[in-house]
Amino acid sequence: MQEILTVGSPKLTRPITNPKVRVPLIEMKAATKKYGNRAAVSDVTLVIYEGEFVCLVGQSGVGKTTLIKFLTKQESPSSGSVFVAGRNLADLRGSELPYYRRKIGVVFQDFKLLPQKTVFENVAFALEVCGVARADILRRVEKVLDLVNLGRRKNNYPNELSGGERQRAAIARALVHAPKLLIADEPTGNLDPVNTFEIIDLLYRINQKGTTVILATHNRQAVDRVQKRVLLMKSGKLVSDQKTGKYVI
Amino acid sequence: METFQRIVKLGYTNFWRNRWLTLGATLLMTLTLIMISVSLVLSLIVRDLATTIRSKIDLTIYFRDDAVSDGDITALGDRIKLQNGVAEVSFTDKRAALSIWNRLPINENIKRPVGESYNPLPRSLQIRTTNPDNIQSLITTIAIQDSQKIVCNECVSYSKNKETVDRLLSITKFVQRAGLFLSVFFGIIAVFNVMNIIRITINARSDEIEIMRYVGASNAFVRGPFIVEGILYGVLGTLFTTIFLLLIAYLVSSTINSVFASFGVDFFQLILVNLWTLIGIQLAIGVLLGVIVSSISVRRFLKA
Ligand SMILES: Nc1ncnc2c1ncn2[C@@H]1O[C@H](COP(=O)(O)OP(=O)(O)OP(=O)(O)O)[C@@H](O)[C@H]1O
Ligand SMILES: [Mg+2]
Repeated sequence: MQEILTVGSPKLTRPITNPKVRVPLIEMKAATKKYGNRAAVSDVTLVIYEGEFVCLVGQSGVGKTTLIKFLTKQESPSSGSVFVAGRNLADLRGSELPYYRRKIGVVFQDFKLLPQKTVFENVAFALEVCGVARADILRRVEKVLDLVNLGRRKNNYPNELSGGERQRAAIARALVHAPKLLIADEPTGNLDPVNTFEIIDLLYRINQKGTTVILATHNRQAVDRVQKRVLLMKSGKLVSDQKTGKYVI
Repeated sequence: METFQRIVKLGYTNFWRNRWLTLGATLLMTLTLIMISVSLVLSLIVRDLATTIRSKIDLTIYFRDDAVSDGDITALGDRIKLQNGVAEVSFTDKRAALSIWNRLPINENIKRPVGESYNPLPRSLQIRTTNPDNIQSLITTIAIQDSQKIVCNECVSYSKNKETVDRLLSITKFVQRAGLFLSVFFGIIAVFNVMNIIRITINARSDEIEIMRYVGASNAFVRGPFIVEGILYGVLGTLFTTIFLLLIAYLVSSTINSVFASFGVDFFQLILVNLWTLIGIQLAIGVLLGVIVSSISVRRFLKA
């Protein structure tokens, strides 16, 4: 886990020496996304600090995924700005994008695992395509699979795993670059309550080790379980921001 | 280096995993290359034919045995050589005419009676012109000079051949143009087809590309495997085309050769001699095509 704390851009790698000094990791200023003349995200201003665990909640279609896509730069705001680790994402050049993305881990509802690769290969793939040496890959994948408690299943294919195990594999892949920020968009959407808690607890543990976690969900139990900051969205707007929240609509 | 190996391996794996789609693209690529090669070979044949035909247009004047001595003929030859537009004049005496006769591909029964003792073959002057268009005026000039009627009647080869030669030349030109047109036409169609198939194979792997993008694969790594695939299309297409071409050449060369025998075209030989050039051109076109089409198709995924 030491790696997860130390890899990244100068800003991202700053070790958390004093937990009382809050370093902003994400800043959005009046971020707005319009599709046609409908706003999917409208005038969102927020700050997320390093080491936080943030739940992003709201009903379907309120713009959670769009907001998250700002952070991965799959979408750019039509107006307003998004800063990550002090860097305005609008200034990020196309050639820098892959290197930026290696510093964020993303997890989805549908896992997005490659069916013809084993768990190990799926996780290793993330390092292979970034030019990491073979020996390094072995070591880092083993380590991250142990972290998500999937060591024994590493040679199975995704279709041989339960939903929870698949999501753990996806989380392992997201973590293998040792990102400072882990974004999970509806990671428990396809899971039963037991598996949901398992995943939420895993995210919680990851956060405890220092990684900033953003969890977009409309699962009430998940939000109530972690007792962390809750951002509530309604039709594209950020309507409430609670320090340690319960899911309220 | 490790990255390069991974890219090649991934490209190869993808190529093999979607082998039916890949086969389709490879076959289309082969078809394009065959079209291009066939029109190339055609233009090679036409070029050879044109040379032969042009040499046929050269003027030959035959002389009556009774009217003139060898010396007078060479003297006439020397005078002709001074005319405008004449490149070369050579004299064929009776012995040379006989040896040419003996080499002609004609029936032995016709050949045999003619020999040292009985040689009715006329002596002749072969005149090569710098331009076939000069011939007509040359013939007129010679006719004026021929006060002694030393030239046998209807013995000027050109006037006899003119019509045939003209027709052959126009056919040759037509074939050349048609070949070019057809290969461009089919080439364009094939390019679009290859493009579509590569697009389909890329779309079939959009999941993989998406994941690569999420985990931060560099653009080169996303593009690389598809470029490798494009190169493979070109290489395999060239391989198939060459095999096809050699096979066809082998099968039909005797037929074609007999048709063009009088023009001295050996089809199989023609292909063998130009094989490396053909392969080179195919490889260049095929690889270029594959790489360009792949890059265009994958570009869409590199935007966001
Ligand atoms: N590419 C797009 N083009 C047009 N409209 C879009 C596009 N992407 C999203 N939208 C619209 O923007 C709105 C917000 O979508 P978004 O996916 O962010 O919602 P969400 O909160 O993630 O919903 P869910 O909980 O169902 O995942 C929706 O009304 C959606 O239809
Ligand atoms: Mg969503």
